[in-house]
Amino acid sequence: MSADPGERTTIHRHPERADQDPATVPRILDEALTCTVAWVDAEGRPRALPTIHARIDDTLYLHGSRAARAWKAIAGGAEICIVAMLIDELVLARTSPHHSMNYRSAVVYGHAREVTDPEELYAAARAITHHVLPGRERDAAEPRDKDWRETLIVGMPITEASAKVRAGPPKDDTSDLDLDVWAGTLPLRTVVGDPIPSPDLREGIAAPDYLDGYRRP
Amino acid sequence: MTTEALTPRTRVRRLPELGVYERDQIKAILDEALYCHLAWVAADGDPRVIPTIHTRIDDTLYVHGSNASTTLRGIRGGVPIAIAVTIVDGIRFARSMFEHSMNYRTVIVYGTTQEVTDPTELARVFDAITDQVAPGRSADARRPTDEELRQTTFVKVSLDECSAKVSEGFPEEPDDDLALDVWAGILPLRTTPGVPQDDPLLKPGTPQPPYVTNWRRPGATPA
Repeated sequence: MSADPGERTTIHRHPERADQDPATVPRILDEALTCTVAWVDAEGRPRALPTIHARIDDTLYLHGSRAARAWKAIAGGAEICIVAMLIDELVLARTSPHHSMNYRSAVVYGHAREVTDPEELYAAARAITHHVLPGRERDAAEPRDKDWRETLIVGMPITEASAKVRAGPPKDDTSDLDLDVWAGTLPLRTVVGDPIPSPDLREGIAAPDYLDGYRRP
Repeated sequence: MTTEALTPRTRVRRLPELGVYERDQIKAILDEALYCHLAWVAADGDPRVIPTIHTRIDDTLYVHGSNASTTLRGIRGGVPIAIAVTIVDGIRFARSMFEHSMNYRTVIVYGTTQEVTDPTELARVFDAITDQVAPGRSADARRPTDEELRQTTFVKVSLDECSAKVSEGFPEEPDDDLALDVWAGILPLRTTPGVPQDDPLLKPGTPQPPYVTNWRRPGATPA
């Protein structure tokens, strides 16, 4: 049975980091390239699977192999929990216990349903491609019928979710401020290298402009 | 090849050719990853997963948190957990949507937690988790007081049951897609540091240490 939804999404530890703005969870989910899905297996043990996701309005879409037991369980409506995480900065305090990170994380609880409506299937496939790189969904060839025999897509409502955000400088105790130790933050970001064309790329096909536009923290 | 970590849970079934079971390679991925996702089963029987940082010493993986944290109370001792780390090295653009993929390295560790209580081990792992964020930092930062140690819980799991999945290279597409007028290839991705920002309360004249100005992940190739 599910816990009281309010209880699961209440941030107990560092409640000041709970971000109640309804726009925050969708923004974190959109910005995070990957997520991890957790579920409980038949033996009652926790399992975790890194994957990619995409959001359309209030629905989170995931895809996976029909042959995988994990995806059979998830498509079958198993209770799942999804986390997405963005690291913005390392936070170096003067004292080791006060080290931290400036991060934004989102956790979504619930269960998914298998998407079977063709229109929704194609919309989700485009959304997942768009999630990886906006613009790509207009170029890449759409799935064919045989693809759906191997791959399934599940949709999950983003109704029970919470976001946790830390920002700002380190917070050392006043008595430690005099230590001769550097303190501050180190911003981190994901940068792209030069695109590397496939060895079997047909001649005369230029790298698309949207490859230059890749922006994630 | 070290295969003692291979169990039905850790055998890579989907795309088995990507499965990696060599302990040294698994350790290198765990060390390079800045954070992990930690899953457990809550008292209500449902799954929970949170992001946290980890550190490894030899064949043991450690996570920590405040004594006051719901997570730490939930996983304190003798509790099965699953830990996943993901490093994305690039996006693999295929000509068709379905063959899109990523070049990635992931590790999954399954284990039963044990709380760290030995003071020597606790001191050592506190240094290790500080160095996990910025290698070298533990030698500079003030170490935890006894009171601070009492407020923090470390739990550990052995690397007895773990596996990695490593995906690299170019998209592999059926011949009939190779003729499409669509660009295909790899867009490499890398996490890089920006300019360090001094704490507004920093004592004037305190220099930025080299492990901050030259920060990079252990094992990661320099920019």
